[in-house]
Amino acid sequence: MTYFILRRTLGFIGTLFAVSIVVFATMNILPGDPAMSILGLEATEDALAALREDLGLNAPVHIRYFEWITGAFVGDFGTSHSFRVPVSELIGERLGMTISLAVAGMLLTLVLALSLGIFAASKHRQIGDWGVMFLSQLGIAVPAFWLSILLVLLFAVKLRWLPPGGFAGWDDPVAAMRSLILPTVALALVQSSVLARVTRSSALEVMRQDFTRTARASGLSQRRILWRHVLPNALVPIVTIVGMQFAALVTGTIVIENVFYLPGLGRLIFQSISNRDLPTVQALVMLFAAIVVTANFIVDLLYVVIDPRLKARQ
Amino acid sequence: MTRLPANFLLGAVLVSLMVGLAALSLVWTPHDPTALDIRNKFADPSMTNWLGTDKLGRDVVSQLMLGARNSMTVALVAVLMGGSIGVVLGLLAAGIGGWVEDLVMRLADLSFAFPALLFAIMLAAVFGPSLSNAVFAIAFINIPIFARVTRASANQIWTRDYVMAARAAGMGTFAISRDHILPNIAAAIIVQATIEFAVAILAEAALSYLGLGAQPPAASWGRMLSEAQTLMYLAPELAIYPGLCIVAAVLGFGLLGDGLRDITDPRLVRER
Amino acid sequence: MIKLDTLSVTFAAGSALRDISLKIAPGDRLGIVGESGSGKSLLASCLMGMAPDAATLSGTLTIDGVDMSDADEETWRPLRARRVAMIFQEPMSALNPLRRVGDTVAEPLRLHFGLSRDEAAKRVAELFAEVDLPNPERRARMFPHELSGGQRQRVLIALALACDPALLIADEPTTALDANVALQVTDLLVDLSEKRGMALVLISHDLASVARSTERVAVMYGGDIVERGGTDDVLHAPQHPYTRGLLAARPDPQAALRDEQGKRKRLPTIPGNVPPLSGLAQGCRFAGRCALERPDCATARPVPHGPRMLLCPVVEGAA
Repeated sequence: MTYFILRRTLGFIGTLFAVSIVVFATMNILPGDPAMSILGLEATEDALAALREDLGLNAPVHIRYFEWITGAFVGDFGTSHSFRVPVSELIGERLGMTISLAVAGMLLTLVLALSLGIFAASKHRQIGDWGVMFLSQLGIAVPAFWLSILLVLLFAVKLRWLPPGGFAGWDDPVAAMRSLILPTVALALVQSSVLARVTRSSALEVMRQDFTRTARASGLSQRRILWRHVLPNALVPIVTIVGMQFAALVTGTIVIENVFYLPGLGRLIFQSISNRDLPTVQALVMLFAAIVVTANFIVDLLYVVIDPRLKARQ
Repeated sequence: MTRLPANFLLGAVLVSLMVGLAALSLVWTPHDPTALDIRNKFADPSMTNWLGTDKLGRDVVSQLMLGARNSMTVALVAVLMGGSIGVVLGLLAAGIGGWVEDLVMRLADLSFAFPALLFAIMLAAVFGPSLSNAVFAIAFINIPIFARVTRASANQIWTRDYVMAARAAGMGTFAISRDHILPNIAAAIIVQATIEFAVAILAEAALSYLGLGAQPPAASWGRMLSEAQTLMYLAPELAIYPGLCIVAAVLGFGLLGDGLRDITDPRLVRER
Repeated sequence: MIKLDTLSVTFAAGSALRDISLKIAPGDRLGIVGESGSGKSLLASCLMGMAPDAATLSGTLTIDGVDMSDADEETWRPLRARRVAMIFQEPMSALNPLRRVGDTVAEPLRLHFGLSRDEAAKRVAELFAEVDLPNPERRARMFPHELSGGQRQRVLIALALACDPALLIADEPTTALDANVALQVTDLLVDLSEKRGMALVLISHDLASVARSTERVAVMYGGDIVERGGTDDVLHAPQHPYTRGLLAARPDPQAALRDEQGKRKRLPTIPGNVPPLSGLAQGCRFAGRCALERPDCATARPVPHGPRMLLCPVVEGAA
């Protein structure tokens, strides 16, 4: 068991390294001159040379990579070209927003998807099942940003119940919550479509298995069988999908933040692209990719915890 | 006709509609989509402008048709590029096995850490946002998907008796891959390609919306939505039409792919 | 205690059970034999109210004097496990893989009788001891995949016994088990039936285990009970053509392998196959495979006659 964890952890670290190399390589392949884009075209050659020295751009590639990765370990991602502050500071300011949105979105997704999926499975071949299947097919086809716009049109423009975007800060918790409602709902509706389908098919698969018959013969109610026996067993493949969903969660959070003008890391990335602020973009891409890799790693471990049969096989 | 599953038929209808509009736009649109007519801006739907005009007086229907062409082209190129590379890698992995297979699968796993958006962001930051960057990003994430599907299906065919017979008869890996493996996994690949088409359309729309794809004045459903969002209080309908087109296209290809999967169910198809 | 009166079960494709009449009294030990497709499992599931949704039932099924023929799920639930319990064929997959076996057996105890966790655990240990599972406390903490097939089947028996049912239905309990484990399980079932005064219905195509464990037996074919009587009587002196064919087809280790000319003797088999549900005849369903067949056998519904309730117009019944 510990051997298994060790192996997986080593693989995880290896993947993180590989990811960092890809990110660094992609961001630094261009022979273009960051010094020039910072100081402008009129800058003197001396100023450019001095800045290049400052930014460590004259060092060979692998040294620069090494500097960057060791810095990343302690949270030092260099300085932002456009904001003139350490990148880590920029990230710190906005991290809370992104995490709140992502966590809220994930929770709502899980609640919606699991209950809809189980509901659809219990109403197999009836209206309830077809309804959920149709809605989820629709949910997969609808772009998150368009759904957001529609929600804003309805709740902000038409009904004026909720703000159309922006975030006033955490000082007023009620206003803060109100700003987060539409974004969270938009994020969750799209994500839960895929998860609901997977839950449904997994639940149907489990319901066909013999132990549900045993449970029924023991005089257990359908509801108890569904929630206490079917769901835990159905969770095993669902957990895998949830892990894969983290990539979509990351993408979704970035998109939603931009749709609703929320001051999070997603907005920061786009501002940085406009400003050609490579260190910030580099750090953020690395951060997001690392989150996806870490999520998959945790799912791998969780797998073994949930299913006692896997523990035996190690 | 009734033997074909419902999702296939519905998907085929939607897809034909979208592709038809896209193809039609090459030779005809109701108006010149780039023609500005500021005095006619935000016009209501009429006999001349079937869905009205946008903030610069451009005809909405013509823009939508151009958008269809844009989406179809991007999806086609991206899936074709990513798909071909992915299939080749998958065939190599299944045919040669050993360290080649391990390497391909490791690389595939690695690329799953980079959703299309992240990759497009990286390209945009370095090279500047452009439509070709969007195409590259989408193509890139298709490679591991096709590699995986190809490898899994190909591995199954490799264990079949007739393949073993071909090997015993001295047929080489390349020849077997071409003559036996490829035809028998073609169905699975086509199904995957159709589904990836749907995904590509969604991805292109998202990228264009964020400004990382089609740059103005190029027409794209995503970009139209981005503009419409700033005008929500003035002309809310403008935010609805492009979205409907996206949903129709994605739904169409998705249903088509599902239907194809049902039709080509391996239990019903005879292998060669 | 349990009375079936002309119970019939039909599906869209055909009639799977025809006019089954049966009585089970407390403490009875009844065997039901037949091939796959004879309807024996369907009959068993009817006794638990677990017939497939697509099945239409007619006739009457009475349990403890209560007519359960039209009963819904909520009416059946209190009876399951508490009056009628059942163990199924595949012990390998019949237990929730994510739960410890002790928890699985404790669940109905806590649910139906409100036992506390400790009380239930004690009872589970007692039950495990009763079904000959050594080390009951340790065993209860194990997961299904840690137990062998025979052990799992014993756990399932313990589960079935947990609420003290008046009737235990065992549907092919030994088919998936090794020969000597099968023997032990069969003997265990008889033991439990005697000790608890519990009725036992053993459904099997293993004639040897039916012979060991039951007093009465009913032979089924194609949805009919074609012959019934005392187990010894029926198995040693079968009267219905199908029963005779069935018994003749058993390999006899004592019999000579070769006949007078020195040629290897072939095992007598019943020609043909069990017809599918849609192809079952209106008359005698054994028609087409029967050596004693008459021209109108396939169309004329046979009526049970004689002490063995034979479903055959050709053969004369005797005790």
